[in-house]
Amino acid sequence: MCVLCGRDFVSRAHWTDRHVEDKARAPGADPVEYQRDRRRDRVYRAVIVNKVLRHYGLRVQEWSGSKYLVRDGKGRTELVQDLGSLWPAAQRLAGRPLDPLDPALHAALVRGD
Amino acid sequence: MTETAKRPVTIVTGFLGSGKTTLLARVLSEPSMSNTAVLVNEFGKVGLDHHLLRRADERTVLLGHGCVCCTTREDLVGALLELLNEEDRGEIPPLDRVVVETTGLADPAPILFTVFSHPVLQHHYRVDLVISTVDAVNGELHLSRNRESSKQIAASDVIVMTKTDVAGAAGGLRDRLYAINPYARVIKASFGEVDPAELLRPPASPTPVRDPLAAGDDRHVSQTHSTSLTFDGAVVWAAFGTWLSMLLHARGEDVLRVKGLLHVGGEGPVLLNGVQHVMHPPEHLEEWPDADRGTRLVFITRGIRSEELLASLEAFRDFIGAEPRLVEANAPV
Repeated sequence: MCVLCGRDFVSRAHWTDRHVEDKARAPGADPVEYQRDRRRDRVYRAVIVNKVLRHYGLRVQEWSGSKYLVRDGKGRTELVQDLGSLWPAAQRLAGRPLDPLDPALHAALVRGD
Repeated sequence: MTETAKRPVTIVTGFLGSGKTTLLARVLSEPSMSNTAVLVNEFGKVGLDHHLLRRADERTVLLGHGCVCCTTREDLVGALLELLNEEDRGEIPPLDRVVVETTGLADPAPILFTVFSHPVLQHHYRVDLVISTVDAVNGELHLSRNRESSKQIAASDVIVMTKTDVAGAAGGLRDRLYAINPYARVIKASFGEVDPAELLRPPASPTPVRDPLAAGDDRHVSQTHSTSLTFDGAVVWAAFGTWLSMLLHARGEDVLRVKGLLHVGGEGPVLLNGVQHVMHPPEHLEEWPDADRGTRLVFITRGIRSEELLASLEAFRDFIGAEPRLVEANAPV
């Protein structure tokens, strides 16, 4: 991270972020619109991820448009860049694998708890 | 740089002795291939005579969480950067294509990962095709004995059946290949005789080349399932990406291939293509390739049943915004 501007020099966007990043690189892209799209996308994604993480006793928070904060109930926190690093961090905090094929997770999602 | 302006990288994989070098030697002799650079692992007995032939000794660097597919091939990085430099300096003509030949046992995923994730390479190269050679004489034996070979078949866009002159009909092998990957084009070649234009034709939209259910009821040891899915409406890309990234984190090594067009509510679909943990950068296309405007998605998995995928997507339905439907699924092959 640059100490002057607080920006990261991330050399590659995770594939889940590519649609917003690619749009920003297109000719005639509007930087204001890019920031808005990007922020909206990240906040919405944090909402979805939170519903999944609740089953594992974890929470995620979008942090200043550049990171995600993953926390457990004891206050342990991991700072991650994108969804590619979020799942391994959540697994470390939960102490068990986070498997979307797990029927217990399906039941929790359907119940909404 | 748009995807189409990047230099295409074609990966040629296949078991030891399955005819990779013979195929390359034949294809590279075509005048149209003169601006194609070739990266090989070793100069084998069958000499490849080509002015843009380079050697890249396999050197892999294991990253963070140590899964085998997410490794960087440092040798390839070096070789591909060197080609860019030479092209810039005008020492070689502008490249039409780079062909990377793998060693027999190699998993193509690290090559994809290297091209997609390197900070410079990802802007100058794209992987357009994975081609596998399968020996019609010993292919069935390899597929039965070796898990690595079904990974190679699942990762392929084109499968070249070699030595068909020796093996005769080889219909059983062809059925077996279709059963593992119903979406790959299968081409027959004896002595490497194939039409380069046919071989390097870009993959069409992901519709099965042949109905996987019609591929016979062979049951073998590889436990590969293929599942074809659609949704009853547009899906929310952010939610689908969340689900898929979670699946690839948890079970990436068993998701041999994900491929398809996803209807996300815009003018065109999102083109998805992934091999194990490694996803091609998803492309948001301007328009649909044909009249069908629905999602079509294929998963080739090992040990994950179609019902499990469907149940998971059902559970995520509220976020994804549409109901998943199974188009077809085939039994373990």
